[in-house]
Amino acid sequence: MSDITKSGGRRGSIAAAVTVVLLVVGGFLVAKSFSGTDAPPQPDAAQSAPSVTPAPSSSPPSPTSSPTSATGKTAAPSTADFGPIMGPSAPVSLKIPSIGVDTKGIVDLGLDKSGKLQAPTDFGRAGWYANGPTPGEFGPAVIGAHVDSKSGPAVFYRLGSLKKGATVSVARKDGSTARFVVDRVARYSKADFPTMTVYGDTKGRAELRLITCGGAFDQSTGHYVDNIVAFAHLTS
Amino acid sequence: MRTTSKIASVALGSAVLLPFLGAGVAQAADGSTMATLRPVALNGVKGSGTAMVTVNGTRIDVTMAANGLLPDAPHAAHIHFGADARHECPVAGDDAKGDGTINTTDGGPAYGPIVVSLTKTGDTSPKSGLAVDRFDTAPGGKINYERGSINVSSGVAQAITEGKAVVVVHGVDHNNDGKYDGTTKSDLDPSLPTEATDPAICGVLNAAPAGGMDTGAGGTSTPNNEGMLLLGGGLLMAAVGTGAFTARKARNRV
Ligand SMILES: [Cu+2]
Repeated sequence: MSDITKSGGRRGSIAAAVTVVLLVVGGFLVAKSFSGTDAPPQPDAAQSAPSVTPAPSSSPPSPTSSPTSATGKTAAPSTADFGPIMGPSAPVSLKIPSIGVDTKGIVDLGLDKSGKLQAPTDFGRAGWYANGPTPGEFGPAVIGAHVDSKSGPAVFYRLGSLKKGATVSVARKDGSTARFVVDRVARYSKADFPTMTVYGDTKGRAELRLITCGGAFDQSTGHYVDNIVAFAHLTS
Repeated sequence: MRTTSKIASVALGSAVLLPFLGAGVAQAADGSTMATLRPVALNGVKGSGTAMVTVNGTRIDVTMAANGLLPDAPHAAHIHFGADARHECPVAGDDAKGDGTINTTDGGPAYGPIVVSLTKTGDTSPKSGLAVDRFDTAPGGKINYERGSINVSSGVAQAITEGKAVVVVHGVDHNNDGKYDGTTKSDLDPSLPTEATDPAICGVLNAAPAGGMDTGAGGTSTPNNEGMLLLGGGLLMAAVGTGAFTARKARNRV
């Protein structure tokens, strides 16, 4: 009788210990899955639609800038009306206050053999396409950065939560700052990436593209299946 | 019956697909190219710009913005390409006569002859290379140029997509007197001073990036978290089981 009670008691205390371990480990994992290592935010449909922006113009429309202006200094009809444009100067740092991005030491990026833009080797740095226009010049300047490393969030972890109208400022080597406003943020499948939309002609505006990864992570390739792209244009 | 309809649908499917496959092959060389225009060596221009050329078969669309040029003077602008050229912008070493500037003859070995004249209206062939009345006059030193549907030869279209074509904007005010003048005549047209045709800014048209970017290692990705949540949840469920066992044992003892 006492033997049975004893062995029963021992089994009971082992079970109690196991219960505690299971509770602690299980609880930790559940908490961790809901905590700091949340999946990166993804843009919603409302952010991917183009915002209604006025036609490119170097100054706000005003009665005096109408084609019938009496000054006689109106441009020839075939001269396109481009927006503000800066001279060339490489980017050195990037600030996006609304999503807490403040990154220095922007590195040069090139293309790989297939023509794809290479990612920065350093998860803590953003990079720019150094053969393209510099941020502020006419055309699409491109800045890319990782969403995460193997262990946690990286520079563009929160890019997917960027909203239309947010400001982005790029400090440049010549001491000037190019200020952009976000037009839209979209997610595209890498398998069906809209190359022309992202890297093609910007029709008269100095624009900026911010690129990181999004969607599901494919364990077999070690890459995310989508890209998140923020489109912005120069305001000053 | 079922087999027949299957065959029919396969046949129909291929018929629908074929035109698209054909189109895909034909457009293999299409694409978006960009040139960052920078001052030509020795010519002392402070200007810069960007040209974007979109190739669709043998049709190209061009947009170009530039600044820092001599204001209110015609700036001839071209796409250059020569099979024997170096497909790049001239360097100081291209100054064959050693006169301290790069003129159109000096530029030849680097970027080759004119293949497209980026005129605002009318003809865009090399014949219009010096049609000064049809080029942008850079009011305020700026050029904002846009022209679609320029027809080119398949060779030129291919050169552009292969990164062998060069955009050149001409017109350099060497003596800073606000106009094209001087005793040296242009190599291209002796009725013009060399200032009117010397290359000012230049850039090679290179393919824009294609496809997406691999910018993540998955450390915060959803599958990891789901796995973690499932495992954690499972362990908690097991804890409920062992906990119940412990409780039962404890009750039995009383
Ligand atoms: Cu030329």
